[in-house]
Amino acid sequence: MAGTAVLGRLTWLAAEVAAVRGETPRVSTLELEVPGWSDHRAGQHLDVRLTAEDGYQAQRSYSIASAPGEPLAITVERLEDGEVSPYLVGEAHEGDRFEVRGPIGGYFVWDADEPERVLLVAGGSGVVPLMAMARHRARAGGEAPMRLLYSSRSLEDVIYREELETLGIDVVHTLTREQPPGWSGYARRIDDELLREVAFPASESPRVYVCGSTRFVDAAADGLVRLGYDPAWVRTERFGATG
Amino acid sequence: MMERTLDGNAVGGLLLELFGVELTAAPCVCGSCGAREEVARLDVYVDCPGVVVRCRHCGDVMITIVRGRERTWVDLRGTRGLELG
Repeated sequence: MAGTAVLGRLTWLAAEVAAVRGETPRVSTLELEVPGWSDHRAGQHLDVRLTAEDGYQAQRSYSIASAPGEPLAITVERLEDGEVSPYLVGEAHEGDRFEVRGPIGGYFVWDADEPERVLLVAGGSGVVPLMAMARHRARAGGEAPMRLLYSSRSLEDVIYREELETLGIDVVHTLTREQPPGWSGYARRIDDELLREVAFPASESPRVYVCGSTRFVDAAADGLVRLGYDPAWVRTERFGATG
Repeated sequence: MMERTLDGNAVGGLLLELFGVELTAAPCVCGSCGAREEVARLDVYVDCPGVVVRCRHCGDVMITIVRGRERTWVDLRGTRGLELG
């Protein structure tokens, strides 16, 4: 393994869970203490590696939820047939240890000094890296107008619901499966008409970040291009149900 | 099981580990159709033995990565060029 050590740009580091916060019934945020960690950019992810007593290892990627400069945090959705997320959501406690490496990614990232308007489009837990961008904008005093279009199954499944209202960005929810009594917001999957109503006009050349399942990301990105958006403005990240 | 199509963001850690540089933002040219896209925008399949990266335009294989216990094989024959910033 000498070759790996020589490259050495991405090494596994010991992480300790500093705090656990439930976000929704199936989603938790874990604050991590990682000695030797270098600060990340909003939108990046990290890899988590769990090692069982018999040496078996499982590794998954999770988006970083915290803004650069804040204590490192990931937000994880529990997938019942997963190998890693059922531990991270439900079993992990303060003081638990595992390994992480990162930060990773240079494409799906946003810096608060970029002047263009920003449209964030989230499907479910795809909101996590976008939340890092919204928090980054708020902490850094970024002046770019930012709007989040956030698709969830129900109000109960909306991650960061209260904090989203405090960040100084426009937030538009759509609840696709179940709506509370009196809900006056959108109640369907994202389609071209919904995008036309919510997205900044193409004439403003906004920057766009779309994150969610493959089907969600492709539908949103294709719809925005049909609205006249240049594909190069639309940065996408598909997350897979890799558990 | 249905094959999951991810994108190049999903192999950012693997590529950084193997090559020592961030590659998801690097433009990559398809050897078949000549389309030029950032690695993050390529289709990635992780359910096969190893990782297969395909062009999002023509679907041809651009990169395959197979990991063994002590060695890793990287096949780049479907990639005409990779642009590093």
